[in-house]
Formats: sequence, structure tokens, C-alpha cells
Amino acid sequence: MIEPGSWLDLIFLALMTVLTNYYLKKATDGTLPNLRTIPAIAAIEEGVGKSIEEDKPVHYAMGASGGQLYSTLVSMTLTSFAFLKYLSTICARLGARLIVHMPYQTESLPMIEAMARDGYIAEGKEDEFRVEDLRYYGRGALAWTQGVTASYAQEGVGLNLSIGIFYSDCPISLEMAKIMGGLNVGGTGRWIMVYAFAMMCDYVFLGEEIYAAAAIVSQNPTMLSGIFVEELGKFFSIGMTLIGVILALVGLNIAPLLGV
Amino acid sequence: MSTILRREVPKIIVMVFGILMILGSYTTIPIFDTIKAELTSWTMTISAVSVWLGAVYATYANYQLYQRNKKDGTVHLIYFVVPFIVFGLQFGAGILYGVESAQYLWYFTNIYSNIGATVYAVMFFTLASSAYRTFIASSWDATALLAGGLIYTLRQIPLFQAWLPGIVGFGEWVMLVPNVGGGRGAVIAAALGALALGVRTLMGQEATVTEGA
Repeated sequence: MIEPGSWLDLIFLALMTVLTNYYLKKATDGTLPNLRTIPAIAAIEEGVGKSIEEDKPVHYAMGASGGQLYSTLVSMTLTSFAFLKYLSTICARLGARLIVHMPYQTESLPMIEAMARDGYIAEGKEDEFRVEDLRYYGRGALAWTQGVTASYAQEGVGLNLSIGIFYSDCPISLEMAKIMGGLNVGGTGRWIMVYAFAMMCDYVFLGEEIYAAAAIVSQNPTMLSGIFVEELGKFFSIGMTLIGVILALVGLNIAPLLGV
Repeated sequence: MSTILRREVPKIIVMVFGILMILGSYTTIPIFDTIKAELTSWTMTISAVSVWLGAVYATYANYQLYQRNKKDGTVHLIYFVVPFIVFGLQFGAGILYGVESAQYLWYFTNIYSNIGATVYAVMFFTLASSAYRTFIASSWDATALLAGGLIYTLRQIPLFQAWLPGIVGFGEWVMLVPNVGGGRGAVIAAALGALALGVRTLMGQEATVTEGA
């Protein structure tokens, strides 16, 4: 009845569900421990201030291939939504112009508009929200990079916040924002592209930090509780790795027992 | 819109479909496999249909930007008009000659793919420019990055392979041992973050799904 070889995955999923439930209760009670600060979060507000001083717009991108709602990368899409709402709230509050470069995955466009609009609504400034600053460039990363970099060149860039699913589109967009004088803040959960963010961003969210940062910027207790579940999962993985190494050193291979 | 419609209904839909997908992945019961395959095919349909939504956004944005600044906004007028001309020509060629004809494929082979190659070529300059800025030993982190980048680069250059034969083996070791080990750690951490978010979504507690962050 259970798919062969998936026992370990299933047990891990059940364990994560139990832990999530436990930490959700703690979050509801307000007994979660304090979290460390991530410098890149503070840099977002600083970047919006810089944009206002320089009279340039704030740019937000979630990647040409961002906005995926049906792939294994959907978690990054949801994370980028959290950042978009956070950024639009700051822009609305401080009076900065926000340009959102939408991905070519069109199924998430209504959600992107809703997130961007929600920030303005939260600050009571819905009339300042400009739908024409939600930019769509058609299908393909090539059209996207050209559209984004053209926008940097024509309209200027004060802050460029890039969080989401990035492939080879990000070296061009990030570096062009930098060349145009923008403050680059960003990150992706795709480890293979983290190098580009590390090289080109002034402040970077390294890999899984985007998930923690999204929870922090949301200040939503249920989202914050997820960070602790994630941390426990890390300890579990480290423990499993150490046990596996020790058992391998003494000549025991437990992989078949775990169904992997 | 009532709170039930806005929050509770999406939560229930997400939870039900999420559980069905999990059952499709972890069990061998045929009905769940069928449901999973059916739901997966829906995503393709939704994606294809929603392309028109993107066209509406693109058209509206460029028209509004042109209206705001008619004097300097000619470029937006071009963005507004040209896609429809290209679409019309492409559609016409497809109807008249078929989608595998030379006429239909002319735009892709002679314009689109060439522009694509040019854009990718630009990436070299952006990477070179960022490498020049990044590879400055201003801190321990930057020095480690510089050392790693140097070893990787030098081992690729035939001249250094001849001068420093040991760099090839050392470079291979860096690539296969610390690089793979560190990379796997990062991938596991990112996967855990995604899993925690997924579990929250299944439990109807992910704020970005139900009500905005």
C-alpha cells in the first residue's frame, strides 16, 4: 500500500507535521524564542529610503521563471509573495514608486497584483497603486531580461529586490541594476544560482534564509513557527548524517533498512 | 466577500488537493495515481490559458505609460503595437502555411534565437564585471571566495595546467569534496525550508496562501 522506498520520507513528513502543530501552539501562546536579525532585511527599508532620496523607483523581481504554482519550487513563489507585500507596504508608507517585474509564469499574476495592492491598502493608500507598474514581458527569460534591464536604464533603479526562482536570468538583471547604481538585495532557494546573488548583491539571503526572512518580515506567528520546525529538521539531518557516517565507518550500511 | 469565502474555502481546497497529491505520491492505490495525473494535467491548461492574462497586463501597462508621457513615451507605443503585429503575422503564417512551415518558423530562426544568443553573450560581461568587483580580498569571506575562484579558473587554463600540474588535482578535489559537501548541506537546508512551508500550507496556516503575508 505504501510506495516502496518512501517510508523514510513519509515518517519525516509526519514528524514535521507534528512539530509544526506543536510550534503553532507555542506561537499562538506567544512563547516562541527570539530570532536573530538578518542584515538583508534591514537593507530593504534602507534601499527604499535611498530610492526616495535619489528620486528613482524601487524594483521587485521574482525571476523570469518565478511565480510557479505547480512545481516543486512553489515554496519560493510563496516566499516571494511575502516579500512583495512587505516591500509594497514600505513603499506605500514612505511614498516610493514600486515597479514589479512579473515572471512569465502567468498563472500567478493575479496573486502578484493582489500582494502588491495589499501593501498599499494596508497603508490606506490604494489610490497610489499603479497597475501599469506591474510589468509583463511575455514568455521566455530572454524577453524578461531585456525588459527588466530596459526598465532600469529608462526609469532608474534605487533598490532592486530580487527574491524567488532564478535561473541564468539573474546574472544579467542583478549586475545591470548594480551598474545603474541600484542597491541590490536578494536571494534564491536554488543553490546553483546563489553564487550570482553572492557576487552581485550588496545584501544577500543565502539559500534557505529566504524562508526564514519571509517569516520574519511577515511578523505572522504561524509563519515564524515554521522557522523552528526547519531548524529542528536541520538538527535531525545532521544527526542522521553523523550516525550514517559512524555506522559506515564500522562497516554497517543502513541505507537499505531505511528504504533509500 | 465574506471571510468564509476569502479564507476558509481556499484553505479547504488547498488541504484537500494537497492530501490527494500526497496520497498519490506515497501510496500504490491506483485511484490516487489517477487523481494526481489528472490534477497535474490541469496545471498545464491553467498555464496555457493564463498567458492571455499576461498579454492584458503588458498591453495595459504600455498603453498607460504612453498616455502618461506622450512626448517621450514613444517606446511604450512601440511595445504596445509591435507585439500585436508580430502576433498577427505569426498567427497568419501558421494558418496559411502550417506551424512547421519555413514561413512560420522564420521569425524564430532568424530573429528570436539570434537575439537570445546575443542576450546570453551579454552575460559574460555582467559576470566579468561582477567578478572584478567581488574578487577583492577585503574580508576573510571575500578572500576565501577569491581563492576558490582563482583555483577554479587557473585549473581551466592550459598554460597553468602545464606550469602547475598539481593545480588540476587540487582543483578537482575542491570541486568534488568541499564544494559538493557544502552544496548538499545548503540543498538540504533549502529543502527543509520548503518542506516546513509546505506542511504549513497543508495545515491551512500559510498566510501567503490564504490572506497575504
